[in-house]
Formats: sequence, C-alpha cells, structure tokens
Amino acid sequence: MPVVNEHSVRMKKFKNKGKDAATLRRQRVEVNIELRKAKKDEQILKRRSISFSLMDESPSLGEEKRNEIIQLSLEEIVEAVNGSNTELQLQATQATRRMLSRQKNPPISQIIELGIIPRLAEFLTRADNAPLQFEAAWALTNIASGTSDHTKAVVEGGAIPAFISLLSSPHMHISEQAVWALGNIAGDGPLYRDALINCNVIPPLLALVSPVTPVGFLRNITWTLSNLCRNKNPCPPLDAVKKMLPVLICLMEHEDKEIISDSCWAVSYLTDGSNDRIQIVVDTGILPRLVELMASLELIIVTPALRAIGNVVTGTDEQTQAAIDAGVLAVLPHLLQHAKPTIQKEAAWALSNIAAGPCRQIQQLITCGLLPPLVELLDKGDFKAQKEAVWAVANFTTGGTVEQVVELVQAGVLKPLLNLLLAKDSKTILVILDTISNFFLTAEKLGETERLCLLVEELDGLEKIEALQIHENNMVYRAALNIIERYFSGEENPDLEPGTGQDGLYDFSVEKHNFDF
Amino acid sequence: MELSDANLQTLTEYLKKTLDPDPAIRRPAEKFLESVEGSQNYPLLLLTLLEKSQENVIKVCASVTFKNYIKRNWRIVGILVEDEPNKICESDRIAIKANIVPLMLSSPEQIQKQLSDAISIIGREDFPQKWPDLLTEMVNRFQSGDFHVINGVLRTAHSLFKRYRHEFKSNELWTEIKLVLDAFALPLTNLFKATIELCSTHANDASALKVLFSSLILIAKLFYSLNFQDLPEFFEDNMETWMTNFHSLLTLDNKLLQTDDEEEAGLLELLKSQICDNAALYAQKYDEEFQPYLPRFVTAIWNLLVTTGQEVKYDLLVSNAIQFLASVCERPHYKHLFEDQNTLTSICEKVIVPNMEFRAADEEAFEDNSEEYIRRDLEGSDIDTRRRAACDLVRGLCKFFEGPVTGIFSGYVNSMLQEYAKNPSVNWKHKDAAIYLVTSLASKAQTQKHGITQANELVNLTEFFVNHIQPDLKSASVNEFPVLKADGIKYIMIFRNQVPKEQLLVSIPLLINHLQAESIVVHTYAAHALERLFTMRGTNNTTLITAGEMAPFVEVLLTNLFKALTLPGSSENEYIMKAIMRSFSLLQESIIPYIPSVITQLTQKLLAVSKNPSKPHFNHYMFESICLSIRITCKANPDAVGSFEEALFMVFTEILQNDVQEFIPYVFQVMSLLLEMHKNEIPSSYMALFPHLLQPVLWERTGNIPPLVRLLQAYLERGANTIASAAADKIPGLLGVFQKLIASKANDHQGFYLLNSIIEHMPPESVDQYRKQIFILLFQRLQNSKTTKFIKSFLVFINLYCIKYGALALQEIFDSIQPKMFGMVLEKIIIPEIQKVSGQVEKKICAVGITKILTECPPMMDTEYTKLWTPLLQALIGLFELPEDDTIPDEEHFIDIEDTPGYQTAFSQLAFAGKKEHDPVGQMVNNPRIHLAQSLHKLSTACPGRVPSMLSTSLNAEALQYLQGYLQAASVTLL
Repeated sequence: MPVVNEHSVRMKKFKNKGKDAATLRRQRVEVNIELRKAKKDEQILKRRSISFSLMDESPSLGEEKRNEIIQLSLEEIVEAVNGSNTELQLQATQATRRMLSRQKNPPISQIIELGIIPRLAEFLTRADNAPLQFEAAWALTNIASGTSDHTKAVVEGGAIPAFISLLSSPHMHISEQAVWALGNIAGDGPLYRDALINCNVIPPLLALVSPVTPVGFLRNITWTLSNLCRNKNPCPPLDAVKKMLPVLICLMEHEDKEIISDSCWAVSYLTDGSNDRIQIVVDTGILPRLVELMASLELIIVTPALRAIGNVVTGTDEQTQAAIDAGVLAVLPHLLQHAKPTIQKEAAWALSNIAAGPCRQIQQLITCGLLPPLVELLDKGDFKAQKEAVWAVANFTTGGTVEQVVELVQAGVLKPLLNLLLAKDSKTILVILDTISNFFLTAEKLGETERLCLLVEELDGLEKIEALQIHENNMVYRAALNIIERYFSGEENPDLEPGTGQDGLYDFSVEKHNFDF
Repeated sequence: MELSDANLQTLTEYLKKTLDPDPAIRRPAEKFLESVEGSQNYPLLLLTLLEKSQENVIKVCASVTFKNYIKRNWRIVGILVEDEPNKICESDRIAIKANIVPLMLSSPEQIQKQLSDAISIIGREDFPQKWPDLLTEMVNRFQSGDFHVINGVLRTAHSLFKRYRHEFKSNELWTEIKLVLDAFALPLTNLFKATIELCSTHANDASALKVLFSSLILIAKLFYSLNFQDLPEFFEDNMETWMTNFHSLLTLDNKLLQTDDEEEAGLLELLKSQICDNAALYAQKYDEEFQPYLPRFVTAIWNLLVTTGQEVKYDLLVSNAIQFLASVCERPHYKHLFEDQNTLTSICEKVIVPNMEFRAADEEAFEDNSEEYIRRDLEGSDIDTRRRAACDLVRGLCKFFEGPVTGIFSGYVNSMLQEYAKNPSVNWKHKDAAIYLVTSLASKAQTQKHGITQANELVNLTEFFVNHIQPDLKSASVNEFPVLKADGIKYIMIFRNQVPKEQLLVSIPLLINHLQAESIVVHTYAAHALERLFTMRGTNNTTLITAGEMAPFVEVLLTNLFKALTLPGSSENEYIMKAIMRSFSLLQESIIPYIPSVITQLTQKLLAVSKNPSKPHFNHYMFESICLSIRITCKANPDAVGSFEEALFMVFTEILQNDVQEFIPYVFQVMSLLLEMHKNEIPSSYMALFPHLLQPVLWERTGNIPPLVRLLQAYLERGANTIASAAADKIPGLLGVFQKLIASKANDHQGFYLLNSIIEHMPPESVDQYRKQIFILLFQRLQNSKTTKFIKSFLVFINLYCIKYGALALQEIFDSIQPKMFGMVLEKIIIPEIQKVSGQVEKKICAVGITKILTECPPMMDTEYTKLWTPLLQALIGLFELPEDDTIPDEEHFIDIEDTPGYQTAFSQLAFAGKKEHDPVGQMVNNPRIHLAQSLHKLSTACPGRVPSMLSTSLNAEALQYLQGYLQAASVTLL
C-alpha cells in the first residue's frame, strides 16, 4: 500500500501552493506497520518444492518396492548422514528431502535441530555423486523456504558458496535446484541478498540464460533474479542492478507469462526507490514495453507492470514525462475501471502522481481523456481506489491552471468528491476539504465564488461540511470551519483583537527613531 | 505526605468541606487541596479513601477529585516549561498504574466511571510504551465471568480505543493498534461468542440480559474502533464469526428487553443501531471482503425496518438503518438486490412511506416548538430524522430506478389524496404525507437561495400545484389545517423555479393572506415564501416579480407584514423582518406613501427590542429596513432626511447612552448614511456628538471600528472645515484614533482609511503641525512590524499625500525626518513593493502619485536620487502592465487578516447602508497611462534631452515598448 510522506507534502501545499509540485509526488514508502493480511497479489518471497506424487507422500501405499523408498527414523537419518557410507547418505538425504516435501507441515525445525545442515551443505560439493548433490540441494531448498530462522540455518550451514558453485554443474536439474535455493535465500531480505551478490552469484546465474534454456528453468532463474532485485534498506548494489537489468529486459520479451511477470516484478523493485534508481531503468528504454504489458489481459502481468510504471511516475517531472511518452495515459483509463480493486487503486495512485506534475502534464492528462474515468472511479470505485482518486484530484487542483481546474469541475468531479466527505477516514476527509479550498481559490480568481457556493450547496456538500465542524479530529474540524467561515457565512464580522487605550481621548504622540528598512 | 491515618483523616475533612454550599468554607478547602496536590502520596491517599472510606459521599468525592487531579497533572507538558513542573512523582505514577485497574473493577458503578475516565487519560499518555501490562491485565479479567467487571474493562477499552476512529494514520498509531489487536482481538472475539451463548441461556432472566446486552453494545463499539483504520488480518479471518453473530443479533427480539419508555432508546435498539454502523463501515471500506455478507444484511435491515414501530426511541436505529440501505442501493454492483419490482414496491410501501408520516411528536413540535420545527423543516437541520433518511433513500433509489420508483409512489400519492378527500378533517395527515412524498421524489438538488434547482422530470409539479396545493391556500379560513397550509406554502417556496410565473403571481395574494394565520409556522412560512419569491431573478438581471406587478398589493402586503409582527410568538420573527426588508427593496418608491407609518412602527420596534436584543438576524434586517426607508425616501426628496433624523435620533441617543453594544455599530452606519444625505455643511446636532465618537471606550470594541471609521469619514467629507474651525482642539484626539488603529496589525487599514480622509478633506493648515509626526509613526510601524497589508495601505497613502501636497513636499518632509529618507523609501519600499497594490482606485492613486514624483520633483533629476528615476519608472510601468503580485511571505500566512483592504471602507455590514466608491483622483486624471505620457512630455520640454537619455540607459526593452505605446496614445513625443 502506498504510504505517503503526507505531513511534509501537506505543509508544502499550505505554504507554496503550486510552487513545488514535485514534492506532491507520493513515493511508495516502506510500510513498517500493516494491519491487513499480506496481500495475495504480491510476488511470492520463498517457495518450497513440493512432491505431488502420491508415492512420495504416502510411501505405505504399496508401490514402494519399485521406487525403493526407504523409511528412516530421525535417529537413523542423523546416523546415516554423519556416517561414511555413501549409499546410506543418499538414502537418508532422500528421506529428509521427502519429509520436507510433504504438502502439509513439513518438519523443517525438527530437521534443523538434528544438526545435519552443515553435512547436507557438504554433500552439495560432491561432484562425484550427482544424486546426492541433488537430494541435498532439494532438501536445503525446502529448509530455506521457511522462516527467516530456517533460512539462516541454511546460510550458516555454509550452503551459499556451494550453491553458487552448483550453478555451473553439468547436470541441469542440479543447477536448477541451486537456482531455486539461491532464490529462497535472496528472498529472505537485503542482508542475505547482498551476501549472495558479494559471493558473486550474478555472473554464473546470468550465464544460465540462453535461447535454449527450457522454460521451466528460465522461470526459476527469473524468479531468483527478481529476488536479487527485491527489498530496500538498503537497495541492492548499483553495479549488481546494472548487470541484471539487460537480462531482465530480454526476459520481459519472452512469451511465457510467468517469466514476463517475474521480470516485471524485478523491474518494479528496481524502480521502487530514489530517483537515480528510477533513472537507471528509464535509461534502458523499457518503459514502452512496460506500458504495453500494463494493457495485458493477464493479472499476473498487469499487477507488476503497473507497479513499475507507478513507481516511475513518483520520480522527477522528466521521468514522469518518459512514462507519459511511453503511452501510460492511454492505458490508465481501462485500469481505472478494472474489475480488481487493487488494480484500480494502483492506477489511481499512478494518476495522482502524474497529476502532481507541472500543468503541461496535467494538460496531457486532460487531453488523453483521464477525467471521465477519474470521476467515475471517485463515484463508484472501491474505497481504496477512491482514496487515491481523491489524492489525484487534490494534486490536480494544486498544480493545475485555472482553466484546467474549471475543466475538472465541468467533468463533474464535485458531486462524487463531496459525497466522499462521508468517508470513514479522517485523512481522506481532510484532503477533500483542502481540495474544496483549492476550488474556491480558483473560483475567486474567476469571480465565481457565489456560483461555487451554490453548487456545493446543491450537491449537498454544504451540510456535509457543516456536519464536519463537530468532527473529533482537530484538523478536520478546523478545515471545515475555515471553509464555512470564509465562504458560507455572509453576515458575520471577523473577530479581531482589540488594542489598549488611555483615559480621555487618545493621545497622539510619537518619538523619533532611526529608520532603516 | 505519608500514607498515614492522620493524613487520611485530614484529607477526609477537607474533601467534606469542598462539598459545603458555603463558599467561605468550600473555597479555602479547595485551595488547600490544590496546594498539597504536588506532594508525594497525595494521589495514593485519594485512592485509599475512595476504596476504604466509611462514607460513600467521601468515596465519590475522592474519586472525582482524583480524576480531575489526573486530568490536570498527568500529562507532562515539557520538561523545559518552568511554571508547569511535573507534579506527580515517578513512584506515585507507578503505584497508580499498578493499582487503578483492579480498583476500578471492584468499585461501584459511580466510582468505576470516574476511574475508567482516569485510566483513559493516563492511557492516552502512557499506553502502550509506559504501561505495557495494561492490556494483559484487562484481558485477564475477561475470564472472571463477572460481567460487572467485564463491562468495566470494556468501557475502559472503549475510551482508550475510540480515538482510532478519527486520528490520521501514522506508524505510531498503527503500531499501537497492532499491539492492541495482538493482545485483544482474540479474547474479545471469545468474549463475544461467550456473551451470546449466555444470552440464550439467560433468555428468561431480564436483569442478566440487561448486563449482557450492555456488554454486547460495548463489544460492538470496540469492533467499530478496532476495524476503523483498516481491516485487520484477525478480523478478516474471523469475519464469519462476527458477521454471523451480528446478523443474528439484528434479527433478535426478546420481550424482556423491550422498554416502555417511548422516547429513550433501549439496549436492543442501541445494539442494533451500532451493528448497522458496523455493517455500514464494512460496506463502505472493505467492500471486496464484505461482499459475501452484504445481501444478508440488506435483507435483515430491511426486515428490521418493516417491523420497527413509530416511537421516538427507535428514531436513531431507523435512520441509521435507512441510511445503510440508501448507501448500498446506489452502488452499481448491488443494484440487483433492489431491482425486482416487488422489492422496490415493498421498500417504498413498508420502509419509505411509513417513515414519512407526520407523527404525534411532529405535531407537538409544530404547535408548541415552532422555532425548532421551522429550523428542522426549512433549514435542513434534520439530518438524523426519519423523514430525512427516508428522503435520502428515495434519492438513492432514484439513481437507478427513477421510473419505477416514481410510478410506485404516484400510486401511493393518489391513494393518499383520495383518503384525504373522503374525510379531510380526519385524514389530513395523508395529504401531508402525499405532499412530502412528491417533494422528496421531485427534488434532486436544492439550495437555500434558489429552492429546488434540479427536479425529477417524471413528476408534473405544476399540475400537482394547481390541483392540490392552490385549493388549500384558497380556502376561506387561513387557520384551518395549519400543517397542510404550511406544506402548501413550502411547496411554492421550494418549487418556485419549476412552477410557471403566472402561477406564482396567483399565489402572491394567497401568501399575503396567510401572513394573518395564527399558526406561527404558517405565517412564518408565508413571509419566507414572499421573501424568496421577491429575490428571484428574471431576465436582464431584474427581479422576476416586478414592482408594477405588485402594485395592487402594496398596502395589504405592508399592513399584513407589520401586523404579523404583533401575532403571539412572532414579535421578533426574523423571517417577517426579512420579508419587510425585501419588500421595501422590491417596491422602491411605491412604499413612500406608507413611510410615515412604517418608520413609526420600525422605531417603536427598535425601542422595544433595544431593551434586550436577542435576535441578531431580526435586528439586522430591521436596520436594513430602516436604511432602505431612508434611501428610497431621500432619493425622491432629499429634504426628508431631517424628518428621519427627528424620528430616529431620540432612539439612537438612548441606545448610545445605555450602551446597547449589539446596536451601536448599526447606529453608526445609519448615521453615516443620514449624514451623507446632507448636501450642505454638517448640522450642529452631529457636531455635538463628534467628541463622543473619539472616546477610547468605543474604539476598544472591535465591532465598532469599521462603522465608526466610516462615520468619521462622513464627518470629514461633510464637515472638515467645521472641525478645523470649531473643534480644532479635537484634532489630536482624531489623530489619536488613527494612531491606535495603526498600532494593530488587524486594524491598520482602518487607520489608513481615516488618515486618507483627513489628508483629502482637512484644510492643510489645520494638520500642518502634525504631519511630520504622522510619518514618523508610519515609519516606526514599517520598521517594527511590516506586513503586506500595511505596505499596501502605506503606498496608497503616500501617493495620495503626494497628489494632495506635491511630490516636492513629500520629498522634503521625508528628508526632514532623516537625511536621505526619501531615497530609502523609494528604493526599499516603493520600487520593490508597488506591484502588490490591488484595487483599481488604489492603483490609480499610486500611478498618479508616482508620475508626480517622476516629473514634478526636481531632486529626482539632479541629486543622488536620480539613479532611482528609471527604476521607479520601470516599477510604474510594471504596475500598469504586470499581473498583481499576490505572494505573501510565509510567516504572515497565519496572521488574522480582514479581507483585502481597499481604499474605501470595505465594511458594509448593512448592505443597504452601503457607500458609493470614491475616487479622489477621478476628476483630475482619467487615464493614468496617458497622464504619465503627458507628464513626461512636459518634463522633457523643461529639460530637453535628459529624459530620452535616462530612458535609453537603463529602462528594459519591454517597458520601453509599453512606454512608447503610451506616448503614441497621448500623441506626444519626448524631447
């Protein structure tokens, strides 16, 4: 959810209306606190490799003889893994892997507690025993897919260098497994991500990408790359980003939708940061492709592509212009009306940031027909999207010219905007009240204050603003009071501070001073 | 203070004394307590007393004292604030927090409430960081099974959490909420389930049910607070539990919980009402997640409405429930829940129509509390009423189903009208409902000023008007069926823009006739309707209804309006007075024959209400009416001003002598108007008053300042010579007023209005000795607290001075105050700031003044000031050509500024006492650009070659181009 550096933004608005539009842009700031469920449309951080075969899961079904599945107790596993019999090592590792691949409740913690991880990591280096390497890699992949503590156990078991070496394994299924494991480790957070980068994971990983790489493998590589781009505080090192970007851009041209999706996610992470990071992406010339992908019918592609473009338009005016030149304004109208509320919301967020730009960009927004869908969204959209739409209108009225604001009113924005004064969200109400003040400032310039007053009253806005004068939130009630006093109370005198006087008539006298202005 | 029995005893005695009715005993005791409250253990002594005292009254008193003590002292404002030291020592704080929760829970309800308040005050400061175990302590009590204790916990939780409903999202807030959710959400959910279980096991035990339902209400409120900011993961996962139970509670009824009270809402109503709020919250904010549950709630709430009675105690529930339906039915994806014809019919029939009925309570208000009735019905302060909610639902449904809904209601309207026709005296309420229904169906948008501005095209408003409204108003008796008369008049009022003019004209005598109705509502509505009709605009910006069309009715209109003011309950009826004002303004000279009687009645009224002014609007319109009488009469016959003075001055004197503060600003305005009507020298009656107007006490009241300045300006315009000759000793007092005003950032522009009038009208010799002082004063203010408003006024003033006394005089007086002063003002003030001057007259004064400085001030040509000549010219051209500079420095943003100051007194509280715009340079200079060109030409003739060379050296190209344009237009060239 985009969170805003709202306070400073608002102060800017109070003091220098329209003078510093760039700061109206609202970055996607890291949210420390979330009350909601983790979002379903986010990209998956870590994945476990699950065995879907019945035999793997229920070895008692009777076909085990053919597959020679052997069940071992935990004690037997420890003994075998630590022993020197390669056959037993393989059996034990396989048994471990199988347990970890159960669909439900894999015993990750128990396995860690056995203390066999360093040993499994060691198995990764057994170039002479590919089956053992593979089973160990798989088992460790699944352990790394758990909580941060689980991943930590794998890393501390010394698996990173081993996995990186395995990327160059002659056996494709082993190097694929290594890619997967590294993806899980990278997905844990910036610390391990950078640990991998420092161990030089990128060159061998990128070397795996070739025209003949099978799609399934390529999916894994893309996903791991995206995790290497992911997370902030700090962002991934710039030289790593520069190495990965050209490959990601090629991957974005692939025909497989999952590969496209994950490469878009990667780019969305890379654009989620300071303007110089956005610039690196813009410089690749990828924006037109991203915009094209925003128009895709696949939700898993639209979501990250929109996310990436949404991030780009939080940047400088020039970066935003690059997104506009890439055609974002032609695609946004459809996304504002998308069936998924989260897409509506992201699209409105992007729109709000474009509306925060200079008036020539606002003009493009008008020319490209964004006002009708914006008004529509404000009227009928999901609440999350309506909130963003309110910001879009607020930014528009802050930076727009008189003519542009008039056009916004003519598009019918007032009715749905005023209706949202009933929203159960203090911030949204406050932003609307500020926007109403902006409309009045415009009306004053045109000498149309009276007409706007009537319009606001007609649309039942006046009684809503009046009701807000008893709102519990101080800023809301003061903003409402201010509008009422300024525009809707014809017969009141301003209450001014009295001075002090002396007895009798006032005494007119002055002392001379030295003046210097 | 130690925790000793002796101290407890002393404290008990003092607490007892604080309850004494005798202030001589009470006050010292209160003082004493305040003096010791900084001592260690003081709060603990109070807690001990409220727990252990033998006397109940001391327990309660200690608990109240404790709460107030916490309220005053718990919050540590800031370590650096010396006069607000931390009065509660750390060990007391810890002890209070350790003991207060169990103490609260074991106390009787009266004391529990005080302690619960105290906890929430402490919690606001300390929770969660400095009071980490509060939540666990509270949650543990849920296990107690004692609902007295549980309700105490819930109430405290509610007062701690309710701020989540209105605060802005922040990391800090959300961290707290998350912490609360982690500790509280699951126990609350379990408590909710357990309480519902208990409700069914105790379904036959009235007293147990009451306690349990109080818990449920608090739980439902907590649900609202905890779910307000965003949908918490926990509640999303447990939505099934909560919503299923909420839903079944909505449909629950239990005879034991029904109350006999008709007015006060019972527990069941309060709970259901809160559940409606909860459902509305989810429907608005979490639609995606709530969608599966919503249809069930729509049905339940609709059934609830169908089965809920007409009693007042259900009002909040019913209006909440209807508002829920209204908000859902206009969402596109829920349209299908309503679109079935049977559903619509049933909603119309069973929800809307019953809630539009005129109830006994409405009838009571109509008769006995008409003021409140009018406010609700006319001014729309009916937001929480059933009628209003029903109206909103009609409008909501019309968004998608205008045709069908109109059709269904047409049927109802017809059948209700038929019922009425059968037996009007019994069934008049049916007609009332029919009219209300038509009104709510037809009105799509409405304003006070214009009535309905958008109507439903499917309703034939004129036909309904002619067939059903006019007949009622034409009936012989104005007092029969007053509610229907009021309905009919209101109909005219709100549909005045839809009903054709000829029908309005037919209605006017009917409305005039109803001014005589005994019912306050009816004659008030009649007056209001007339007033509204008279403000309607026709073509060419004239009134729709003309004075000519009103000619036959003038006498009866005025008679009935003034008679209506004598009806019981309407002696200060603002609607009638406003109608009088509007009638005068419309009828203009046709009221002149009635003025003698009118002004007598108005002055009598004025005299009567000045004893105790209580209706500000009434008073305002009364003074407006007086102003109109004066203007209209004196326009036709200027000599009539004397007879007005004769009629009014006696009352005015009384108002001034008795210091009727509310009226004094009005009196000054009327006097200004009268004085301005005089063509000759100021009458002596005014001069006698002059010294009194300079009394500081009058200037201390801010409301007096604008009208008094205006009045003094009128004195100066008409009587400057008289003042100079007969009241010269008052000139310092007059300037003292100016000095007083200039000292205030808020009033300085008023000071300038006065000063400008002094400079413009007083004979120069009479103010000669003060001129230097005036400038010193202005420079001081400029030095000490410069504001944009001050600079604007200052610039206008010095230029006016320059026009009046000449540019050389201006330069000389500046430089006599301090060497090189003139250059400093030019360089630091005039040149950089002139662009800020606003207003046509103000800009013109500055243009002419600066032109004089450029062309009639020799030092500008041949001293060190010469270097400022071109920049000054450039600034002047900028004033002509550049847009106004309306930037205001940051620090000034929050100063309280009256609207932009103009050269003229902008104060026009009485619209009809208004003053014409005055242009002191109007005759001298018509076009200031041409004037500049001509003046430059003259200058260049006097010193050939100088001007073109100054222009060519430093005037920028654009300005030069503009200047050439002026020269061309003036057909002159520079030598």
